[in-house]
Amino acid sequence: MRRFRHIRAPLCSALLLTAAAAVHADTYFVTIAGLGGEPDYEQRFAKLATDLDRVFNSAGATGHVFTLSGKDATRARLLATLDTIAKQAKPEDDFVLTLIGHGTYDGVQYKFNVVGPDISAASLAEACAHITAKRQLIVNTTSASGGSVAELARKGRAVIAATKSGTEKNATVFARYWVDALQDSGADVDKNEAISALEAFKYATAKTAAFYDSQKRLATEHAVFVDTRRGGPVRVASTDTGAGRLLASVTLVRFGGGVAKPSAVAGNPAKRSLLTKKEQLEQRIDTLKYQRAALSPQEYKRQLTESLVALAKVQEELDK
Amino acid sequence: MRLIFRAAGVLLAAGALALSLGPSRAAVPGTPDSSDSAAAPERCLAMERHGHHPESRACYEALLREANLYLRAEGYWGLGQYSNANEEFRAAVAQSPNNSQYRVRWGRLLHERFNDQEAQDLFKEALAKDPNNAQAYIGLALVSADGFDNGALEWARKALTINPQLAQAHELLATLALEDSEPEQAATEADAALKISADALDAMAVHASIELLADRAPDTWFARIAAINPSYGEGYALAAHQLIIKGRYTEGVAYYRKAIGADPRLWQARAELGVNLMRLGQDVEARQQLQKCYENGYRNAATVNSLRLLDSYKNFVLSKDETTVLKLHKKEADLLRPYFLPELKRSIAVYEQKYQMKLSGPVQVEVYPDHEDFAVRTLGMPGLGALGVTFGNVVAMDSPSGRKPGDFHWASTLRHEMSHVFILAATHHRVPRWFTEGLAVHEETQASPEWGDPLTPDIVAALREKKLLPVADLDRGFVRPQYPAQVFVSYFQAGQVCDYIQARWGAAKLLDMVHSYAHVVSTRDVIRQQLGVRAEEFDQQFQAWLYDRLRGTLASFDEWHQRLAGMVKVSRDKQYDKVIEDGDAVIRLYPSYVYDTNAYELLAEAYLAKDEKSAAAKVLQAYVEAGGRRPAVLENLAQIQEGLGDRQAAAATLERINYIDPAFDLEQHRRLGALWLAQKNYDGAVREYAAVLAFHPVDAAGAQFDLARAYFAAGQRDKAEDAVLASLEAAPNYRPAQKLLLQIKTPAEAGQANQP
Repeated sequence: MRRFRHIRAPLCSALLLTAAAAVHADTYFVTIAGLGGEPDYEQRFAKLATDLDRVFNSAGATGHVFTLSGKDATRARLLATLDTIAKQAKPEDDFVLTLIGHGTYDGVQYKFNVVGPDISAASLAEACAHITAKRQLIVNTTSASGGSVAELARKGRAVIAATKSGTEKNATVFARYWVDALQDSGADVDKNEAISALEAFKYATAKTAAFYDSQKRLATEHAVFVDTRRGGPVRVASTDTGAGRLLASVTLVRFGGGVAKPSAVAGNPAKRSLLTKKEQLEQRIDTLKYQRAALSPQEYKRQLTESLVALAKVQEELDK
Repeated sequence: MRLIFRAAGVLLAAGALALSLGPSRAAVPGTPDSSDSAAAPERCLAMERHGHHPESRACYEALLREANLYLRAEGYWGLGQYSNANEEFRAAVAQSPNNSQYRVRWGRLLHERFNDQEAQDLFKEALAKDPNNAQAYIGLALVSADGFDNGALEWARKALTINPQLAQAHELLATLALEDSEPEQAATEADAALKISADALDAMAVHASIELLADRAPDTWFARIAAINPSYGEGYALAAHQLIIKGRYTEGVAYYRKAIGADPRLWQARAELGVNLMRLGQDVEARQQLQKCYENGYRNAATVNSLRLLDSYKNFVLSKDETTVLKLHKKEADLLRPYFLPELKRSIAVYEQKYQMKLSGPVQVEVYPDHEDFAVRTLGMPGLGALGVTFGNVVAMDSPSGRKPGDFHWASTLRHEMSHVFILAATHHRVPRWFTEGLAVHEETQASPEWGDPLTPDIVAALREKKLLPVADLDRGFVRPQYPAQVFVSYFQAGQVCDYIQARWGAAKLLDMVHSYAHVVSTRDVIRQQLGVRAEEFDQQFQAWLYDRLRGTLASFDEWHQRLAGMVKVSRDKQYDKVIEDGDAVIRLYPSYVYDTNAYELLAEAYLAKDEKSAAAKVLQAYVEAGGRRPAVLENLAQIQEGLGDRQAAAATLERINYIDPAFDLEQHRRLGALWLAQKNYDGAVREYAAVLAFHPVDAAGAQFDLARAYFAAGQRDKAEDAVLASLEAAPNYRPAQKLLLQIKTPAEAGQANQP
């Protein structure tokens, strides 16, 4: 008899549960475009920051967007901004910090290049530690960003770095594709009309790899993330270790109007019942996917079809 | 690499030593102290040449006991201890830096052991010390000959002017003449070698090769060789080489087998056997032979790279049926197969009908995403196409994914190579190189006027400089080019010759010529018999026709060049009105120029800058019809066409990209899928959406959904269901996919949702 693995809460269910919780929570977005050094980089970094500013501002009233670029991109301004957020954010809120620009790593310490004195990963970590938002994400898109992961990672905080270590020192293209991900509905892999940090990461890493492939160049950057306390940075999510679960729960962008608003459901018992049934079906589908290896292909298909058809019918009812 | 017995040169070395010792017979440390020792290497080599192997071995071993470093080097070399030989030569040269012959012999060792660069350096150093060292010229000739460059003839002739008694030089010239399809000249040189040395075994082998290539029995000559040295495998190997050069691979393999039969330790022949077995698709034995070479220290580039390539075959996927074997790399098999397989089948159907024949077995097409792997297949073969090669029923070609997008047109290349498959079979591999290449080039544009390679500036320059070869000598342009572009010019010329023959005498005449070439017959004879003109007359008439066709381009080439440069400048300065003013005229000066920085793209850019989309589309359409094939340009054209409401044209444009580079862009396939779906070309839509999936897109759910829609529209409900389930498996709440699933499962209830 086959023994089943211990079934961990699947990533998409975690998304569902925490998305429900996030409906009432705010998200604090801080983006900083650091020192370019050359006009081309300055322009590029500033544009990326502007694009992110626009994307995050579309989050509406629940989004608080702070964008620093040009002469405002200083250590002092960044720390002051983080201090402001520390005063405002609540534990149920989310916090997202995005670093765009150049980074350096001397084998011991990572520094993000800004106007004036640079800021170290240790300083950033200390400043972010004062922010009580329980779910945090730092996206470091700079060169040598892999050297910042160890300092920045902690429980409840996911860190994405454009490079796997501090020794990948070339300017990165990851930032461009990260920003593209948040503007491309194609990044919404699970089609829930929202782009999670995990979806954006997968999109950006795929596009980065394709870039180097198309140029017939050896890739000089390999993005990684860490969002669990188990093991070091990884490149792919894993249901075994839970890597990616926190990333999957952080929604960065929502679009479309398909999700039934909670108030529309709350006052309608029939709809509430349908929603409960929907959640059950989603759970069943997740569980089924975990059990796939233990089933024959025909049986897997039969059960999956049955659950998906049921889910589709429930959704059809919910949409009425 | 050709096998040339290394003996020649030692006699001279011995002679030189004797001369250098002449003034004083006193023993000098490190130099031979008697004329007997000086002649010793030559004695050893003579024994070896006559097949007295135990005696030659003992002779070489005796050399190891000599105090003279050079003699010890020859001893080690004769015993196959190459590293020791190398060290002794190094020491001998260091001790006697002015002795040019030591360098020559050292160079010959390095040449034998795959280090041509340093071998060449040593020969040149020897000549710097002694400009009349004929053996150094022989060394240079051997290195050049392996690269099929023209220097070989020059060096060999130079050696003879210094020493007319060099049999080896005549032997080499004989071999080169035969490679150049000049059997009379080859025989003359071989006879000259035999006149100098009655046991010039390679000269005898050249004669045997002449007989073989003429489909006559070579036995007499091989018997003469065997009478001198029954284990002289080099003779058979030389014949095998000549057969392989002429594309007669099966026969070549047979003679390499004879070579190693005569001398099982003839590793070079065994390595060539392995390489050529690979060319015939006999990979199992190929690996065995190459592995044996490797294990016995014979590790030249061909052996090592071929073994590596064989190892890499585990990464390839085979699609087989009765008539075809398609070998694609697993990373791109799903993407390429839907395009390659139908085109392969189409080629077979076309040629079966045209040449009224069927192939005796399946044709194997191997597609290499890594150009270096493809290059291994062409090692040691002169003047082959850089994109594809045919060895009978086996075709190897580059994958479009391994090249810069638009660099080549894979479907045209496949059509070209498949022509070779049929022509080689139809003529039992007797067809001369120029004619099979000419037909293959001709067939590309028969498939579509947009296929084939548009006229390049290099070819224009060659035409202006009157560099075309007489058709009777056209093979030479492929084997031993006299200037860098000659191989490409020869391809062009051969193709135009076939175009001319078809235009003047009809397509059936080409088939008649194919039948003529099934026997060993000269091009002069075929032209006279089939076309009713002498070869010289044919050349005159053909060139008149060609120059007349290209008169405009040839005459205006300089003007075109200047005006295009002007267009580039004004375009860079964004003076779009000026670009538009001049653009059409520049295009008319050289309409086939569709390469980098062409007038079509500049003009289209100018029109787009002024928002004149129709005009831009017209120019880019002309670009495409002239053979332009940059996928990014075609995508742009398709976008403009779709924007102008011409979805049919847009689909046709995007479809063209599939024959150039299906790996170019996922979005191209997605857009084409949507266009086909809208135009009710459901099979096309399915193919394109399946191609999207082959890219392993991030949005797998969306891609599966698109495929499901296409299957559903095509009435393939089962496949539609599988695809939509795959979509929902990735994204269970994907609304459009949910609706389609309900439509598939409960058609009566789902209503009109999600109509394609």
